[in-house]
Amino acid sequence: MNKSWPKSFGFLMLVLMLALTACSGGGGNNVGNNVNSGATNAPDNQTDKDTGGEKTLSIMWWGPDARHEATKKALDIYTKQNPNVKFKPEFMAWDAFWQKLPTLAASKSITDVLQMDAAYIQEYVSRGQLEDLSDIDLSGIVDPTVIENLKIGGKLYGIPLSQNAQGLAFNKTELDQYGIPHPHKDWTYDEFFQWARDARAKLPEGKYPIGDTTTWDSFNYYQTSMGKEPIMSDGGKKFNLDKDLFLTFYQTYEEFRKAKIVPPAEKAAAFLENDPQADPMASGVVMTRGATTGSVSALEQLMPGKVGVVNLPVGPAGGGWAQSTIFLSVSANSKNKEEAKKFVKWFITDKEAGQALGLTRGIPINPEIYKELEPTLQPKDKLGKEIYDLSLDKALPFYSPAAGFSEWVDTYRKEMEAVTFGQQSIEDAYNKIDKLGKELAAKAGGQ
Amino acid sequence: MTAETATGTGMEKKQPKRKRNHTGATHLAGYVFISPWLIGFLLLTLWPIAQSFYLSFTEYSLLEDPVWTGMDNYAKILSSDATFTKSLSVTFLFVLFSVPLKLFFSLMVALALNKSIRGMNIYRTAIYFPSLIGGSIAVAALWRNMFGLDGYINQVLAWFGIEGVGWISNPDTSLGTLILLNTWQFGSTMVIFLAGLKQVPQELYESASVDGAGKVRKFISITLPMLSPVMFFNLVLGIIGSFQTFTSAFIITKGGPINSTYMYAMFLYEKAFKHYQMGYASALAWILLTIVAVLTIINFMASRYWVFYESDGGKTK
Repeated sequence: MNKSWPKSFGFLMLVLMLALTACSGGGGNNVGNNVNSGATNAPDNQTDKDTGGEKTLSIMWWGPDARHEATKKALDIYTKQNPNVKFKPEFMAWDAFWQKLPTLAASKSITDVLQMDAAYIQEYVSRGQLEDLSDIDLSGIVDPTVIENLKIGGKLYGIPLSQNAQGLAFNKTELDQYGIPHPHKDWTYDEFFQWARDARAKLPEGKYPIGDTTTWDSFNYYQTSMGKEPIMSDGGKKFNLDKDLFLTFYQTYEEFRKAKIVPPAEKAAAFLENDPQADPMASGVVMTRGATTGSVSALEQLMPGKVGVVNLPVGPAGGGWAQSTIFLSVSANSKNKEEAKKFVKWFITDKEAGQALGLTRGIPINPEIYKELEPTLQPKDKLGKEIYDLSLDKALPFYSPAAGFSEWVDTYRKEMEAVTFGQQSIEDAYNKIDKLGKELAAKAGGQ
Repeated sequence: MTAETATGTGMEKKQPKRKRNHTGATHLAGYVFISPWLIGFLLLTLWPIAQSFYLSFTEYSLLEDPVWTGMDNYAKILSSDATFTKSLSVTFLFVLFSVPLKLFFSLMVALALNKSIRGMNIYRTAIYFPSLIGGSIAVAALWRNMFGLDGYINQVLAWFGIEGVGWISNPDTSLGTLILLNTWQFGSTMVIFLAGLKQVPQELYESASVDGAGKVRKFISITLPMLSPVMFFNLVLGIIGSFQTFTSAFIITKGGPINSTYMYAMFLYEKAFKHYQMGYASALAWILLTIVAVLTIINFMASRYWVFYESDGGKTK
């Protein structure tokens, strides 16, 4: 047998090792992807040029299956109305979408039309990837103040599709069962914290009034509701993490962990939202959790008839947000800009399309379409509308991470996780998060 | 190969044009036949590797053109990146435990499966089966259900009145569950051991029996030395493979809690595809390559003291 394992075999192993490590590394992957996406996109650029009157619009979006089916139906309707326009749709889940888009951007082959999110639009606008859509006339379709709020540097880069808002869902059945009052609209942070303390006394062991928090946005809600600047502003050039508020906020949660008002860290780390068994609220462990207009229906489906909603706690300056966060944008490198612009306007105007799309992207931004859908709304859809209506009058702007801050967002969560596991003090976490934030802001300012 | 070329050139000197063309055509035909692989290798492997080497000296966000920054990436990684140190130590810990465990476990299974019993093939297939679905997402999801806070493990423990911890959501035990998962995927290692065992000459055991050697003695003096080249092969591949562990950490634990399972490959992936720092990620990839290369060289140097090649006249050097 030993002849079959000669020493020269070592050479083969070395080659193997090289191939395994280097080509499975990130660098290798990204270039590979570029090559691939370039190849797949070449043919449709070709057809664009060759076919004169016939046009093919490529379009890409993320979402769940229901949205995919509805959107494909809407595209068919457009083709029926405009027989010279065909579509090449690509649809996927959120994660895949944001992994794919940068590679398309790098090879300048972003689809003609694409769905955009408030969390990323600034980044893509700042890199010059999106077409200015300011000249599309949306009067009578979208509230002018909404459009004003969405402008970046005075220009509109995304057509808003729906209204969205952040609120808090609660388990109304169990709150009633244990004699705990429901939270009321426009409750303050002090009332929220006190409500949690009171609820603790009435709940049995193993159930918790509220969830723990480790993400930047929860604290940003708190900081802005107290009338301070958002953590990131001016495109990431300004960074302001208020130390006093930070300590107050997280010391309260530290007290809550000791008093079992929030679940222990180990339990919190095992939660998985919208999973029938592991969802913090659907599993019956936590009485409340955050929910948006767009996402609350998934929760309602897990626990039908049990979900109530309220807006986020407010401070002197207001609280939460209520605005459009999903858009359709047009690629700055598109060869069919005019048709693409016509299509994005049609998407929120056409009644037939409105019927096909339903509420798959939240409450339609166009009041007329919403009016037609209203009689057919299901309870799960009405909850979304309720969050929006409750949040609207006190709403602050929607704050998204500034361009280049995605790593800071991760760091924030990990440092705060270490706090919840008792491995680090709140002050240490503050120092690390603040340091990285200031570095990134300095970098953004230097450019 | 060398002999062939030598005669080929010899013929060219004597024979006129026609023959030379023929040889050229033969070579060409050869290249044409391997061209699918060759083109694939050049374009999809070598070129990206070269690209990533270049990118590792740049800052590249994918959305903008790469900017040359010299050694900045490497300097930052090696001097001030705490996550780098953390993920590297997590990975080393993982390799340190999972590789020996897997080797030991798969050798034991291979020994058990090397007996002649009726229906052995069915057992072999059954035992190899988990490795077929191996590093897949389905297995990772299964693991999450087993070791979760309300997972099967804790349910079984509850029968005995033990309150289990959240194996995956507890920073002290999460890495352990991943090591266990890696050990459980012993199939291919085991098959290689099994093939090695099959080739140990029976006469060695027979003559040892004549000399009065017992089972343990035979294992230590015959099986282990004869198996050492196979073990070496498995060790090297095991180390390389473990350094690149990604799927389990990505799916089961997402690197958490608090980075306790933040494997190097996952760190690299997130730098590249979550934070769009392609240059930095490329530098990380090359550092990983260097680490693995150095370890492999050390392995090869150490191998002369314990790997036994019969073809060398039965002596370890």
